[in-house]
Amino acid sequence: MPTARFSIRDELAATRDVGHLLRFRAGTVRRRLLFGWAVSVMLTVTAAIATVPAFLPGAGDSDRATKFALLIPTGFAALLALAVVSAVVSGGGRELMPREQAVAYPISPTTDHLGAFLLAPLNIAWLLQAWGLLGASAYAFGSGTLHTSIVVVLLWVAAATAIAQVIAWTMEAVRRGPHGIVVVRALAVSAVLLGLLLHLSGQLTSILDQIPTVWFVVGGVDGVSWRWVLTLFLEVALLITAVVVGIFPAHLASRRTPRDEHRLESAAKQPLSMPRSDLLALVRTDRASVWRTVPMRRGMLVLAIGPGLVAIAGNLPWPTLTVLPGLVASGGALLFGVNVWCLDGRGALWRASLPISPSLVFAARAIVLGEFLMLASAITIALASLRAGMPATAELTALLCTWVVVTVQVVAAAMRWSQQRPHAVDLRSARATPAPPVLMVVYSARLAVSTTLTGLVFSGLAHVPDFEVSLLVAVPFLAWSLARLLRTHRGWMDPVVRSRIVTTVAA
Amino acid sequence: MSESGPVVEVRDLHVRFGDVEAVSGVDLEAYAGRATGLLGRNGAGKSTTMRVLAGVVPPTAGTVRVAGYDIRTQAIDVKRVIGYCPDVGGLVPRATPWEHLQLSARLRRLHDWEPRARDLLERFELGDVANRAAGGFSHGMGRRLSVLLAAMHEPQVLLLDEPFDGVDPIGVEATLDVIGDARARGACVLVSTHLRELAIQACGEVLVLRGGSRVATLAATEMSGEEGARAYRSLLD
Repeated sequence: MPTARFSIRDELAATRDVGHLLRFRAGTVRRRLLFGWAVSVMLTVTAAIATVPAFLPGAGDSDRATKFALLIPTGFAALLALAVVSAVVSGGGRELMPREQAVAYPISPTTDHLGAFLLAPLNIAWLLQAWGLLGASAYAFGSGTLHTSIVVVLLWVAAATAIAQVIAWTMEAVRRGPHGIVVVRALAVSAVLLGLLLHLSGQLTSILDQIPTVWFVVGGVDGVSWRWVLTLFLEVALLITAVVVGIFPAHLASRRTPRDEHRLESAAKQPLSMPRSDLLALVRTDRASVWRTVPMRRGMLVLAIGPGLVAIAGNLPWPTLTVLPGLVASGGALLFGVNVWCLDGRGALWRASLPISPSLVFAARAIVLGEFLMLASAITIALASLRAGMPATAELTALLCTWVVVTVQVVAAAMRWSQQRPHAVDLRSARATPAPPVLMVVYSARLAVSTTLTGLVFSGLAHVPDFEVSLLVAVPFLAWSLARLLRTHRGWMDPVVRSRIVTTVAA
Repeated sequence: MSESGPVVEVRDLHVRFGDVEAVSGVDLEAYAGRATGLLGRNGAGKSTTMRVLAGVVPPTAGTVRVAGYDIRTQAIDVKRVIGYCPDVGGLVPRATPWEHLQLSARLRRLHDWEPRARDLLERFELGDVANRAAGGFSHGMGRRLSVLLAAMHEPQVLLLDEPFDGVDPIGVEATLDVIGDARARGACVLVSTHLRELAIQACGEVLVLRGGSRVATLAATEMSGEEGARAYRSLLD
């Protein structure tokens, strides 16, 4: 039960509850050895990224290192922006315990807020950005001041994440208030338009040169000094203040009803005519499960528009655009595709009792996932193409091949994982994820690696004058992914496998 | 015994999930025009047996025939003749009741189903919410809709798993009417429930399951009153 009064005692108890919930979540991990291995790999990779670049040739004292150093303050700001977008889109951040499970327990919004803060790093976009910042900083400042700059970067990452939580909870409280949805949408559109306006008027670079993050970056470059100590002190103060301040909007948001979720559930849907085929009937039901859910609608918007705007701002050329469809498709799959059978929820048992070939059910689900991913990346490509000029035939062919190849690639991977590890998840809440947070990081890392590599292959092919080369290279890519999809389909045709999935997602 | 033979015939049914044997050797016969109750404690194997009959969970061992079809080899034929109300939820959260009905009608090749669907929606007091997503429904509303979906196509075998759970008296009455109608048109009805009194009211015969096996088959009248309650209690321990 949310409380309106602030009590230090209650807040301390709520802070202790974070530990209890973390232990509870850790206890539900099915494959502990794999989990331990994954955590070790993550920590090792982070340590390597944060230190190895400092010992590379040219680190700290080359023109290239200076260029990196000049970009670090923008990187600090970009991490903050990304953390804000992630937390706002997910309605305040990820949940330590899913809402439908937590409802029976007296979990304070403070516990929820601290849990969301701790889970924020379990997001591939956040991780990549943080790793990028650590690596760039190590290379830019070299091994001489590594011990001071690394602390500054790490503390900034923590402080930025905490500040993002404050903004996200505030936005969520506003969104749940009177006219909240309109206000938040207006704010989001205004922010995008302001960014575009600054960029198009050529003022963005000068603003980025003066952003306050420069002060923090400078604090880490002179080794151990009073300036460094002052920088750390301010970062720690920012971190603690943001964590504490975030408690208040988190409480306010928890006292308000999530309007957009309720709006989607209570609104009357116009009945459509009888579908013309069984496949269409199944597709229509699956589409309803996707498009009538807040995380999917919100996620689709951010995924489709965000990278497109970045491409416009960066004036990316056609060969570079081949990386975008893979990233967008990976993000789309992470909204529901990696646990695609959970869309039926407890209706899975009823659906499994309907007289229809399981093969058609599989096809419908793959089609709905595929069209969702294709639509998201099509919007991104359309936006990105606005400043890219007229493409050469080879460039356009390479991009279209990437679009199709990565979609099939991601659909095949998502359907396979959905079969291997189904989870009972209610995706009603914007904060829900289709799989446990650690598994989501594993999925996103695997998707990001495979689709980025594919995108890079076609990026290279975009420079080859003969457009037929891209088409030829696309064939083995597609054949491989389709073979994997067919293997998953064969597994689905086994009644034992199907019943395991159905009973799990309906639990 | 019925003269026409059993519509549902289960012999030595075993269902295993990993190391857990959910059903261990259930035998069961159910006949046309009759309602048979499955009673038992939590974990007795009632819902798993119902899921096997609905073609949702395959049997690990044993023989299961529904309306003459073998559940292992003719699962789709079985699904055509049954109507199933699962024990949990049973509804696609983002789909509306009308969309559930439309999907069922399409896949079952039903014609002129809309008047009956509208009539059932009114009888179960769901007419006002026919076009709202089922995810926002109360537990009782969800149960009522599940029963309606199972009964809409007038199946030869009606499988109702915990149909009365959390349902208000009007919903219970509508469900009892559906069972009565099904029996009257010669359908075979199987009702799994914890509620002994309602099982007695709805069914002519009850099977008591314990630990995944059948421990007794009794006429519903033998389970009624104080004495019936004591007899039932003794069968559960």
